[in-house]
Amino acid sequence: MQPLGAALLAGDTSAALVQAGQLGAGGVSARQIVLGGIEPAMAALDAKCTLEQFNLLEIMLAGRAVTEVMKLLYPAGSAAAPTKGTVLVVALEGDVHDLGKNILKMVLTGSSYRVVDCGKDCPLPRLLDTAAREQPIAIAISGLITPIIPQVRQVRDLLALRGLSRIKVLAGGAALKQSAPDRLNVDFVAETAFDALHYLEANAGGGP
Amino acid sequence: MNSVERVTAAIRLQETDRVPVIAQVFGHAAALAGVPLADYVRDGATLARCQLAALHRYRYDAVFAVMDVSVETEAVGSVLRYPRDQYPTIDRYALAANADWDGRPVPDPARAGRMPEMLQALATLRRELGDDTLVVGCILGPFTLATQLLGLENALYLAIDDPARLARLLDFATEVVIRFGRAQLQAGAHLPVVFDPSASPAVVPPGFFREFELPRLQRVFAALAESGAAANWLHIAGPVAPILPYYATAGVNLANFDYPVKAAEAISRLPVTCCDGNIKSLLFVEGRPAEIESAAATLLSAFRERRGFVLSSGCEIPPEARPENIAALVRAVGAS
Repeated sequence: MQPLGAALLAGDTSAALVQAGQLGAGGVSARQIVLGGIEPAMAALDAKCTLEQFNLLEIMLAGRAVTEVMKLLYPAGSAAAPTKGTVLVVALEGDVHDLGKNILKMVLTGSSYRVVDCGKDCPLPRLLDTAAREQPIAIAISGLITPIIPQVRQVRDLLALRGLSRIKVLAGGAALKQSAPDRLNVDFVAETAFDALHYLEANAGGGP
Repeated sequence: MNSVERVTAAIRLQETDRVPVIAQVFGHAAALAGVPLADYVRDGATLARCQLAALHRYRYDAVFAVMDVSVETEAVGSVLRYPRDQYPTIDRYALAANADWDGRPVPDPARAGRMPEMLQALATLRRELGDDTLVVGCILGPFTLATQLLGLENALYLAIDDPARLARLLDFATEVVIRFGRAQLQAGAHLPVVFDPSASPAVVPPGFFREFELPRLQRVFAALAESGAAANWLHIAGPVAPILPYYATAGVNLANFDYPVKAAEAISRLPVTCCDGNIKSLLFVEGRPAEIESAAATLLSAFRERRGFVLSSGCEIPPEARPENIAALVRAVGAS
């Protein structure tokens, strides 16, 4: 598994696909590749990306490689990948910036979460309908602009009205991470995508 | 001292009658005047009128003819959407990742997109304010313009997949912003601030900044200085500490630092460069005047010995900021 992990960490998609293919051909199951190759690589990337040394480029490259390997291991229509739980990721109505959301999606996917992407510019009713349908362990809101804050503040209360209070609400992104959980009425404000991952592992029943 | 004298003295780390204060008020000026942002960013006369009204209200040391970060990309060919009360967003990028951008013409600021409106705003502001208040324009850093031409994800992947092509795109972007910056100076700007958010260490590693962006920023700032800019102001938000040591090499003499960087860290990494910052932008929306005053007092104390400081926010003060918080910022330097 070590060469696969190294290729993922280096963001080398081609090499990662070759390594994953060879492992599969050698009889290693997709699940074993996820648990023994992809997850450790994401953990290594997590350890490498401190608050002081975190850049999107490195995460995106590794994320792109992980996404392609996951597609190889679990082609559309095949058996579902192992999951620690479902997480909705979203950029709320008025916010058309989705890079932060996409980064989180990559990090969570590479850490064995099932991610449902509610997209950008997503109205609250659509988010709530999706939450009722998918029953996630958490909703992660990425926000680059401050005008969406009034919407963020409503999410937890609207979930409660639908009997979905157990769903954790996380916020992150350039605008939202300047705030605090009590000011945003959320459970957690993440500095980075890995910060969100740590919260899920510790508090939302997503831990190993 | 008037505002221009005060700011330029601070940039030279000289004594000033008080610390200059520059509130990064862009779209907030529209909100204050009850003007839709969609109108503010498309009409130079409206922008200038709102900026003058905001200056009259707050009495800080600079006004900005800043529309948004999509002026250059629109001039090159991106298609924007203009929501009524938000900054425009890009519906279609000017360039596809596989496009051929060699030989693409550099937009003429007198004709392309909203560039003429921005030049008109600068001309109006300078005519009204002369050399009393600093009149600031805006251009993007080359890498940020590249991300606005291609989309951030495409530009970042290109950096790895085909760095030579990215380099050619950056050279094109450099020519675009230099031409636009020179036009702003001719129109009346004392200087254009160079916004380069995509070059932040939050987005790309410091090594990338050093190899790809630094040489082009050197070209941009050399061209602006040669064209009479009062100072070279670089504005990169986020955790910029690792790249601050490169600023002097780039030709920067006014360095914005955002809230993740502590004042002491900025001082140690920029020992002879004037700094501006770094109150958290969101505090102007969520906070109270006492919190602004407290944050300002900490900053003023940190820079008291060294001088070379302009009190400001770390990034743009959001349009929906509470006016009393901006007033508190200005009061903190004894300006009102």
